[in-house]
Amino acid sequence: MALNQEELLRSPAVWQPRSIEEAIGMKEEWGSAAVYTAGSTLLRTQWEAGTAAMPRHLIDLGSIASLSGIREEEGAIAIGPMTTLTDCRSSGLLAEHAPLLVDAVRNIAGWSVRNLATLGGNVVYRVGDAVPALIALNAKLEWHDGSRLLFESAEEWASSSYAVPRLLTSIRIPCEEDDPTSNTKRFFAFHKVGRREAFTPSLVTVAIQGEAEEDGTLTKLRIAAGGGQTTPVRMTRAEELLLGAKPDGAGLQQAFEAVLEQYEPRTDPFATDLYRKRTAANLVVAALWSQSPSNASKG
Amino acid sequence: MIDQTWAERAAGSKLECEVNGKAVSAEITPSTRLLSVIREDLGLTGTKRSCEIGRCGACMVLVDGKPVNSCLTMAYQCSGKKITTIEGLAGEEMLHPVQQSFLEEGGYQCGYCTPGMIISVAAMLAENPKPSMEQIEEHMSGNLCRCTGYGGILRSIERAIERGGQSDDRG
Repeated sequence: MALNQEELLRSPAVWQPRSIEEAIGMKEEWGSAAVYTAGSTLLRTQWEAGTAAMPRHLIDLGSIASLSGIREEEGAIAIGPMTTLTDCRSSGLLAEHAPLLVDAVRNIAGWSVRNLATLGGNVVYRVGDAVPALIALNAKLEWHDGSRLLFESAEEWASSSYAVPRLLTSIRIPCEEDDPTSNTKRFFAFHKVGRREAFTPSLVTVAIQGEAEEDGTLTKLRIAAGGGQTTPVRMTRAEELLLGAKPDGAGLQQAFEAVLEQYEPRTDPFATDLYRKRTAANLVVAALWSQSPSNASKG
Repeated sequence: MIDQTWAERAAGSKLECEVNGKAVSAEITPSTRLLSVIREDLGLTGTKRSCEIGRCGACMVLVDGKPVNSCLTMAYQCSGKKITTIEGLAGEEMLHPVQQSFLEEGGYQCGYCTPGMIISVAAMLAENPKPSMEQIEEHMSGNLCRCTGYGGILRSIERAIERGGQSDDRG
């Protein structure tokens, strides 16, 4: 098994830093010639498709132990970005505190890809299907720029333009404890529409996290919509219309119109923007309709 | 200036791992696909090359007991790992219970997806010996078959569940 010299010259050098500082140092040294890699599932498909060139250097973040794992920390669930999607899918902590994220992860690729792919990779991809769920969960992202930690919400990350080299070091989901004296009930919904039932690229992805009183009055609500190459955004107009109200037919019609107006999908030859807008709006109002106590039994 | 300690952080061009219970030491660039290592360097052609983007599951192998698409996995990710291909799933004398079930129930037609299917089913049953239909669909959604319509494959999985699809031979 002699090494092919030509292949050796074409192949990226793979570096396995032991610390966050070392990884950032490498990236600063080599700039655009170096790419951070986590599970590398997206990179490999991009190289195969020719949409990205193989870089000169790969910085493998799998060698930094502190970037993996799921733990409860200061009122939040802290997820290391190198945690695989499979580990997120099977996490008891996430099932208890963020079932919306578990549902989102279940809908990303297939089991074997999830064994390699990481939550951090999906977040940094920006249009990954975990991102709408993290926006709806009001998740915070922790980054390191080589000298200090930076914090921003998942919502800010999705809408920001990313320029300074930095490394995602933690994804934090706030833990909201149930108030035993309150009659409110939490609910969530995650819907992904693609061209196949399972293991499908998304055309439209919608994530909702909310809280409602016994009579259906919405006391908390966060809605995010993305899918395909559309950067996920919060549907703030629909949220404003629905907060404090019981989602009846007229209210949901207004929410439908608000999503139609605010959601601006990127199109491709497979689905028009109008189709995607209507799909997103339908998914949002159907989810809210079905969680309302007066409508749940009507299917 | 490049830190001198970084030299120690370079993944070398020697892959050392275990394939089907045997130690492997090979000169391979770290970004080489595991699929190429298995088929071209080790000559284990039971693992199939098909979509090459992780969608079809024909190249499925076990890495430390977990199914992964070998077309998406690079050599450096396998360093020190135990890899099981379709050739190493069963013992010397008998077929693996999942292989036997596919044979009895006609869980294949052209057979190209079959090694990957069997690897995924074996991994699923090792993790959960009695999966529900919903769990079967979730675990098998990364394996495509263009011939059977999946009826024979589902029958084979049911048969494997009945006979207890686990094996002690897995890596």
